[in-house]
Amino acid sequence: MNWISALPELVLACAGMAILVFGVLAPKNAFRLASMFTIAAFLITAMLVMGGTTSLGYSGLFSSDAFSQFVKLLILAAATLGVIVSLDYSEHENMQRFEFPVLILLSTVGMMLMASAANLMSLYLGVELMSLSIYVLAAFARDNLRSAEAGLKYFVLGALASGLLLYGISLVYGFSGSMNFADLSAELTSASQASTGVTIGVVFIVAGLAFKVSAVPFHMWTPDVYEGAPTPVTAFMGTAPKVAAMALLVRLLSGPFAHLLAQWQQLIVLVAIASMLLGSLAAIGQKNIKRLMAYSSIGHMGYALVGLAAGTPLGVKGVLIYLVTYVFMNVGTFACILAMRRRGRAVEGIADLAGLAKTDLGMALWLAIFMFSMAGIPPFSGFWGKLFIFQAAVTQGMWVLAVIGVLTSVIGAYYYIRIIKVMFFDDAAEAFDARPASLSFVAVAGGLFTTGFFLFAAPVEAAALAAAKVIFG
Amino acid sequence: MLPVPLGHYLTVSAILLVLGIFGIFLNRKNIIVILMSVELILLAVNLNLVAFSAALGDLAGQIMAMFVLTVAAAEASIGLAIVVVYFRNRGSIEVEDVNMMKG
Amino acid sequence: MLYALAVFAPLVGSLIALLFGRQIGDRAAQTVTIAGMVLASICGVSSFVDLIYSGVPAGVISLGTWVEAGSFHVEWALRYDALSAVMVAMVTCVATLIHIYSAGYMAHDNTIWKFFSYLSLFTFAMLMLVTADNLLQLFFGWEGVGLASYLLIGYYYDRPSAGAAAMKAFIVNRVGDLGFALGIALLFMVFGTISFDGIFAAVSQHQNDSYHLFGTDFRALEVIGVLLFIGAMGKSAQLGLHVWLPDAMEGPTPVSALIHAATMVTAGVFLMARMSPLMEYAPYALGFVCFMGASTALFAATIGCVQNDIKRVIAYSTCSQLGYMFIAAGVGAYQASVFHLLTHAFFKALLFLSAGSVIHAMSEEQDIRKMGGIWKKIPLTYTVMFIGSLALGGVYPFAGYYSKDAILEAAYAAHTGVGAYGFWCGLIAAGLTAFYSWRLLILTFHGAPRADQHTMDHVHESPWVMTVPLILLAVGAVLAGVMFHEQLLGEHWEHFWGESIKLNPANKVLEHMEHVPGWVRLAPSVIGLAGIALAYIIYMGMPALPARVAAAFGPLYRFLLNKWYFDELYNAIIVRPLFCLARGLWQVGDATIIDGVPNSVASLTGASSGQVVKLQTGSIANYAFAMLIGVVALVSIFLIFLR
Repeated sequence: MNWISALPELVLACAGMAILVFGVLAPKNAFRLASMFTIAAFLITAMLVMGGTTSLGYSGLFSSDAFSQFVKLLILAAATLGVIVSLDYSEHENMQRFEFPVLILLSTVGMMLMASAANLMSLYLGVELMSLSIYVLAAFARDNLRSAEAGLKYFVLGALASGLLLYGISLVYGFSGSMNFADLSAELTSASQASTGVTIGVVFIVAGLAFKVSAVPFHMWTPDVYEGAPTPVTAFMGTAPKVAAMALLVRLLSGPFAHLLAQWQQLIVLVAIASMLLGSLAAIGQKNIKRLMAYSSIGHMGYALVGLAAGTPLGVKGVLIYLVTYVFMNVGTFACILAMRRRGRAVEGIADLAGLAKTDLGMALWLAIFMFSMAGIPPFSGFWGKLFIFQAAVTQGMWVLAVIGVLTSVIGAYYYIRIIKVMFFDDAAEAFDARPASLSFVAVAGGLFTTGFFLFAAPVEAAALAAAKVIFG
Repeated sequence: MLPVPLGHYLTVSAILLVLGIFGIFLNRKNIIVILMSVELILLAVNLNLVAFSAALGDLAGQIMAMFVLTVAAAEASIGLAIVVVYFRNRGSIEVEDVNMMKG
Repeated sequence: MLYALAVFAPLVGSLIALLFGRQIGDRAAQTVTIAGMVLASICGVSSFVDLIYSGVPAGVISLGTWVEAGSFHVEWALRYDALSAVMVAMVTCVATLIHIYSAGYMAHDNTIWKFFSYLSLFTFAMLMLVTADNLLQLFFGWEGVGLASYLLIGYYYDRPSAGAAAMKAFIVNRVGDLGFALGIALLFMVFGTISFDGIFAAVSQHQNDSYHLFGTDFRALEVIGVLLFIGAMGKSAQLGLHVWLPDAMEGPTPVSALIHAATMVTAGVFLMARMSPLMEYAPYALGFVCFMGASTALFAATIGCVQNDIKRVIAYSTCSQLGYMFIAAGVGAYQASVFHLLTHAFFKALLFLSAGSVIHAMSEEQDIRKMGGIWKKIPLTYTVMFIGSLALGGVYPFAGYYSKDAILEAAYAAHTGVGAYGFWCGLIAAGLTAFYSWRLLILTFHGAPRADQHTMDHVHESPWVMTVPLILLAVGAVLAGVMFHEQLLGEHWEHFWGESIKLNPANKVLEHMEHVPGWVRLAPSVIGLAGIALAYIIYMGMPALPARVAAAFGPLYRFLLNKWYFDELYNAIIVRPLFCLARGLWQVGDATIIDGVPNSVASLTGASSGQVVKLQTGSIANYAFAMLIGVVALVSIFLIFLR
């Protein structure tokens, strides 16, 4: 029964089309209702995912297993929070068009397909479904030049990246004779046998996906697009797609290309080091907080890649836990950024946060928690994510990588804690407008998760380990 | 009939790919040219896929080429739409004008 | 289920009060926390009754996995056995009464919601501590109560002395906690687990393991026992680490009653009882426990005789009574020590709350030299405080009589050198206890009024929210001894305690207790009554005598008044040298060397940041070019180096 294994995706896709039809037919502006329906669809899908079985459907194109379940739940959580944070913003910025939640929904379908991809073909379709929706989302504020520029840049570079990805796919297909992960795995049993064509193909595929996770040197779009895109889109773009692309990278490199470990490991190590360095260095001088978050996410993806580079179930477990912690602290931070609004106008400067502790202590505290967590300070979740990653690297004897990781997190701590300093010790600027409940909810949810993670780390860890073991067979 | 060897196809598609990539960053004039370059890259890929498919006697490559064509159509339409939005805001589609955000 | 509710209801109350206290207002926050506590006490008592009288089996309620790291496995779990259930019932009941009392006592405070939230948070942490199923969870509760205690001692944060006292309590406890943490680590090393069941099951296998340190072999169990006791010493304010407890009286009086008398300070005693299966195989560690307990009991009682602050007298009395509990634990009579813990919780909370009621009546005056002659004006407070003192002094048939006698009999019946030391110290301390209790009563309530007229005019009985808890606690102070004596210490103690306290088969203290000579049974009462009589003669009969005695024995009096100069000693040998060292490290090590290097590295980082950002030109062409360079570079590395 093919359709049972892909039931969550099918339900979600149908729901998306239904909401689209509903939006067109609805007499008045259906933005809010469409958003609610989308959230409901996400929740239903999440339940279906949890009840899903392990199976390989559609002639090996689509795999439903513990790994894909873990990733899908995380993606759905991120997407749900993404829709919630957009509610208030869209109404303020005259963006309340029902297509917005539908686009998020469709890109989520794409991401879920990526999480379940068991064939280069489904991989490509998933990536494109996700990307095309996000190109539109980035340019969604039609009357805003910066949003349009962000959309344009993301589109052009994204198209180039999918070109590289496709070229890599074609090379791997041509030189190994199959697109199926299981066949590829059986074909490529040792590093010495792999032909030059296959290895070059792998590099191209890695480049294409590295673009999606914004790893150096394919990160150039990130700061500009993060800054220009409407903030809820940035919040969404910074979480779910990163998770999906990173999961895909993990599944691809540790699955069909697992035996080429010796070859891709060095590439990932280089990319990881470059990302960690750039992420921490370039963020220092930033004045716009969205741009700062862009560099911060480049750095975070560098850390996650460290876990992948370890090439062990322990490393993949680290990556998954890192992604979980990353999603919640990132969404929470963006909820706080979205709450930065003075007399109806959104502000984005770090200087605008000055003295926030005096005007809105609650928000300052949550934001401080997220910043501490991102800097990797215990007991917040960010620390545990880094701990598992570095542990995996050290177990594999990759001392240099771990040391560079720790050094760059020290540099990173500087700019995270600078924000805390601005909020708590600078003279108070004018107070922000009252926070809408939706943003408070997301900030509190993310904050509680980030603070309380160490209390329930064990079940998450167990699930991540089970998921990681699926990849390694 | 003299069959064209696989290597020739690969060479042509590699050349097309390089042309496409160079078209993206050497072109300083018009964004439409970039869209065309993207199409060129996808063309190179399709040529590759079909050639491999024929050489391997395996249909998967051709199916993939169909998918790529479909996606390329969607991609082109979205790209054009974004360019239109950009033009309405900026009044120009010069590549060099696209640099409001940097640093 | 009830049991889990008893533990978590205070947490819920505390969180609601803390997060929404400002919004919902003081009254609602107060109501929510008190409701949580009442619920908790009902559940706590009924699960105690279920276990002891209805025969519900003991067990462990698992709440999920906490840490899973290699062989280090820790669960969130609630242990349900006699020891935990007794403690839960006691803690929830006393805490509920104190919450209610606080509603009256703190009525004029500005941040009532915060106070109640902290109080409930404390109760939750204490319940976590006593229901822990493994040492890590116990440590969690242990640190949780430490945190709550810190917050509450420093509650009046605008008073510098309160801030200093809070810090002192926190830092002194750190010393004890270091021992405790080392003990846990060593336990894990020896046993490979920190769950109680795992440890207790394996004690007999490991009893001859040794631990190599400083060139000598120590028996591992002895080292663990001593380390755990060092932790207990910090929390239970035993000699050496007791200095924080009197200062902790800077907190509001209900806090002193709940934390620094009834519950938290007894955590150390609880730890000894909980680890009894292990301590039983560490005779030298037990000897050390008994020795320290006996010394503390006597030492604190001597100081209590000359203090003039009403709360500090009771604080030293707490210190001394904790010493008794450790005497009992040290001779292997854990039942007696928990019994005394239980009765002490009632009468000491009662004494503190009555003291609070006195302070309330006297317009915040705490010096007993400025009181006197008020017993007719606040008869109820006087009565309950009298009952509390009778219980503390060990007068038949009040609660303290049963438990204190049991401890002294056990110490005598141990027939060991250190047991005899405990017995004699305890006996003398019993006399001193009775003496200072009546000194306190007489100076506070009798004689000529020594306060100014204005204060005297305002002396009034406290409102019912304060007096009702006092009366209930007084009932407890009268009955707790009679009610539980037979069950906890009688012939069928095993029926009551079940598996929760396990004795070494060689430990026959409880049996020997039945056969101590008659004078041993009588001595505490006789000495206690003599102490009371002496206090009456001196302070009622000859009010001028104390000053003359103090003058005649000047040096001794000052020695006692200054608490044996412990604070000064610590200041001279620990605090000042550390200050000097720290100052040196700060000025030379930190400011010049350690700051110098990072400062230059930081400016380097800043400069490179500027360079990196320059790459980000904003032009699509450049971005695409960077990607191409990236691919080319990666492919080249691949082809050149990795093939």
